[in-house]
Amino acid sequence: MNMRIKPIFAFLALTMLTLGLSSCEREIEIELEGSEPNIVVEGLIEAGEHPRVLITKNRGFFDNFPTDFAALLDTFILQNAVVKITVDGTEYPLDFVVNPFQYPFAYYTSTSLIGEVGKTYLLRVEALGKVATAITKIPPAVPIDSAYFGLNLFDAAEDSLGFLYIVYTDPDTLGNAYRLYAKRNSETQFFPVEGAITNDQFINGRTITFFSGQSDKPFAVQDTFIDSRFFYALGDTIYMKFCSIGSREFDFYNTFEAATGTNGNPFASPILIKSNVNGGLGVWCGQSFYLDTLIATQ
Amino acid sequence: MKNQIKNCALLLLFILSTTTVSAQKKFTLSGYVKDDSNGESMPGANVYIAETKQGAATNTYGFYSLTLPEGTYTVSVSFVGFQDFKQQVQLNKDTRLNINLKIKAIEAKEIEITDTRIEQNLKSTDMGRVEVSVEEMKKLPAFFGEVDLVKIVQLIPGVKNGGEGNTGLYVRGGGPDQNLVLLDEAVVYNAAHLLGFFSVFNSDAVKTVDLHKGGMPAQYGGRLASVLDISMKEGNMKKYQVDGGIGLIASRLTAQGPIKKDTSSFIISARRTYLDVLIQPFVRETSPTKGSGYYFYDLNTKINYRLSDKDRLFISGYFGRDVFTFKSTESGFNIRIPWGNATVSTRWNHLFSNKLFLNTSLIFSDYQFESNVEQTAFKFNVFSGVRDYNAKMDFTWYPSYRHTVKFGANYIYHRFTPNNASGELVGEAFSLGPPEQIFAHESAVYLSDDFDVNDKFRIHAGLRASMFNQVGPFTRYLKDENGFTNDSIVYGQGEPIQTYPNLEPRLMMRYQLNGKSSIKASYTMNYQYIHITSLANQSLPTDLWFPSTALVRPQKGVQYSLGYYRNFKENAWEASVEAYYKSMENQVEFKDGTLPSDGLNDNVDNFLTFGRGEAYGAEFFLKKSMGDFSGWIGYTLSWTTRTFPELNNGKTFYARYDRRHDLSLVLSYDLNEKWSFGTVFVFASGNLMWLPTNLYYFEGKPVLQYGERNNYRMPAYHRWDLSATWYTRKTGKYRANWNFSIYNVYSRLNPYFIYIDPEGDVTQGTFENNAKMVSLFPIIPSVTYNFSF
Repeated sequence: MNMRIKPIFAFLALTMLTLGLSSCEREIEIELEGSEPNIVVEGLIEAGEHPRVLITKNRGFFDNFPTDFAALLDTFILQNAVVKITVDGTEYPLDFVVNPFQYPFAYYTSTSLIGEVGKTYLLRVEALGKVATAITKIPPAVPIDSAYFGLNLFDAAEDSLGFLYIVYTDPDTLGNAYRLYAKRNSETQFFPVEGAITNDQFINGRTITFFSGQSDKPFAVQDTFIDSRFFYALGDTIYMKFCSIGSREFDFYNTFEAATGTNGNPFASPILIKSNVNGGLGVWCGQSFYLDTLIATQ
Repeated sequence: MKNQIKNCALLLLFILSTTTVSAQKKFTLSGYVKDDSNGESMPGANVYIAETKQGAATNTYGFYSLTLPEGTYTVSVSFVGFQDFKQQVQLNKDTRLNINLKIKAIEAKEIEITDTRIEQNLKSTDMGRVEVSVEEMKKLPAFFGEVDLVKIVQLIPGVKNGGEGNTGLYVRGGGPDQNLVLLDEAVVYNAAHLLGFFSVFNSDAVKTVDLHKGGMPAQYGGRLASVLDISMKEGNMKKYQVDGGIGLIASRLTAQGPIKKDTSSFIISARRTYLDVLIQPFVRETSPTKGSGYYFYDLNTKINYRLSDKDRLFISGYFGRDVFTFKSTESGFNIRIPWGNATVSTRWNHLFSNKLFLNTSLIFSDYQFESNVEQTAFKFNVFSGVRDYNAKMDFTWYPSYRHTVKFGANYIYHRFTPNNASGELVGEAFSLGPPEQIFAHESAVYLSDDFDVNDKFRIHAGLRASMFNQVGPFTRYLKDENGFTNDSIVYGQGEPIQTYPNLEPRLMMRYQLNGKSSIKASYTMNYQYIHITSLANQSLPTDLWFPSTALVRPQKGVQYSLGYYRNFKENAWEASVEAYYKSMENQVEFKDGTLPSDGLNDNVDNFLTFGRGEAYGAEFFLKKSMGDFSGWIGYTLSWTTRTFPELNNGKTFYARYDRRHDLSLVLSYDLNEKWSFGTVFVFASGNLMWLPTNLYYFEGKPVLQYGERNNYRMPAYHRWDLSATWYTRKTGKYRANWNFSIYNVYSRLNPYFIYIDPEGDVTQGTFENNAKMVSLFPIIPSVTYNFSF
């Protein structure tokens, strides 16, 4: 719902046009004191799966981005963190593994721990001389009632690209939240769709249609369908993964999506990310999921 | 509160006790002061009695009243730009003396500076009050040739703009919503056109501009920082007159004249930008954006009727709109965004006696913003606004020449419409929640007395009692511990929801050290019941006004100021230093992480957080208002901070418009009959911005991390403007002049905003974040042709 933001850019453009001017911009040097390095948690524990916790750190805002995978590991990913998960009074230490072919490229996991619906998981991370902790619970999955493909409404001339629609029925309890992941055709990995996050604040207990396009993939993940980015195409096989998450986890993803959507917009006020990690950044998210497949037809 | 009431009661008792002294026989000299050439009333003219060395200024309607012991007096009246008036008056009965002042002949230099001229700045109790003459403004450089009184007001020390070309007012550390902007007593809720580059006030229709930035008298209330009181011209009572101007981006036309000579008159004034019209012939039929454009227009009109010597009726109105359209034929995308103000003021002046003046006003005020987006099968509409119905009675009582007592009452019925959205998808309407409107009563009564304790000591003591009452219909959405709406309370029509009663004492004192200097001190307490807060860094037409509710407590401001005033060279030069300290409670900001969509289907106030503010500083002002060479230099040193428990980890931060140094130099020079020149130079510390300091990656996307709030100060702002006015015909029936202005003479690229531009490719190792500074206006020459007949 960026309806309020977008016209403002147009306003400015027209202002300048009205005055017969073009604005001038130039690069400037900004020196700002940054914060100390912090632990960033990108942690998932899914029902029926091993936990996957990527631990990174933040950097100075104007620092250059590393050039290769080794440098990336070096600059962002914390390889020597002490990571533990506690569930039902048992503590599981996590091991660091590297897999450069799948996102996340390096993470902490435990093969002796599998996520279960209804259980609460405590995460503890020690790194950079700091301790970060977070707690999450895996809520039960909610099924997709049906799914279909629809052509892009916003372009009347469009005859092949469009959106994915899913229909689901929200349970009668308030506080359910969802995140939709998808992949298509030969893609090997699920990623959140564009605008993947929603909750039942306004639609509690109702049957809902939710539509979405594809999102940008994380860097270094090849997108083979670059010309049809953001859309699905007629004939695509779309695999859906509909995840149920908790409400604090929703707050994180919701602010994260909004913030990445307004990055750099000078008319938008900074959106601060609501993290559920104490002493760190990011999210520790327990989720369960429902899988479904759709072949995109008219 | 109880103590407050007691103190105030004692104060009032004291005031009234001083009004009933001496038994000598007294008579009242009263009347109106008018401009002889057109019959316009002259507010702020100085009426002076030489024998008693006492004087008074005329009120907003040009009325004065002086009660003196029986005797013979020399009455003199003076006003800048007019010939002094002097007359002997035998006061042995109540006397009505209406005075017509004649404009000073052009050839006449400042012949003599008479000792009768009142040093109003030394003698009044006014603090932080500045009046600016519209005629003087017209000699100064104008941005795109449009004379803008708000931009001139921004050159007064203590008043700051919101940034390059912005007409937002930031007075003594207050926010842009803390100014009461009045046009013929009607509140103007959004005084800006075109993202704030022009104000809504058409200088051809405006008579006086009066700014109170500190020491707000009790007849004003409802805002913390300032009152900008603008009066429209009444219309020429003597003859028909047409004034106009043709500029680069806009033209103006004003017609005025008597309906019945010396009894009633009218004025109608219009202004419109026309670049959208001018460029149409050059836009190809096939252009993908044909039909896009932007324009604004204003319409001011006023009629007045002198019903009798004791009664006068004024009806005035303002209507203005900005309209922005964008059409893309290719994608079928259409957007139309109109917004603007409408006001109507009906006022009736009545003289009960020579000592008691009453003005009764009925005022309507409305601000609307609309955004209509349409694309093939999709429609989206957002509507917001505020509407007021306002009734006022203001009495001025002149019990003796030592006292001017003002009292009155005011009632406003507010209707607020926060963002209401509706839409249509494939012909099917979808709702984004029920339309929300908020209703409230705002009322106030006040009493003040401006009086001489003795020859040196003068006091203005006032008390304002105000009350705000939110009433139904209203739906309050209640939250559970996770922030989810889980319940609501529905209030019926007219049902009281929340009431805030408050007392606002005002006290100003002047002590005259000698004929050349005085010191003044003031204490004012103000409450503000309606608020704006913005998610964006700029003031935008989308900014919403919202009222105090059960969650949003009224803003409270307390200001202390102290000043030293001195005149030089027979009052040709006025100098002052004012220092102030202001505390502000219940300041409003959005909570961290609030999204633009969060207000839908919820109460806007559920997303707000509250804190306090502080502002302090000193203002230095040197002004020369007489002679060929006039102008001022003003410098302000100031600080303004905010402290919110829920923002910036509870640590105090500087407000975005915290500006350490602010300097303005304004000069105009009349070379001869043909030419006059003006120049403006400004220097100001840069505005603060909140920039990211760190970054991390999540799901492969960069996430910006913000450090302390407002952690970066933009580069300083400075600019030099020049103007020359060439009077091709200064006398006779048809008069005309050319105004040549150069804005930003040395083309300084001043910061407008800074944004972060991520560049390069992550996979190529060339990715980096760059900060880019955007500047809007380089050197801009403009020319305007003004005429009058």
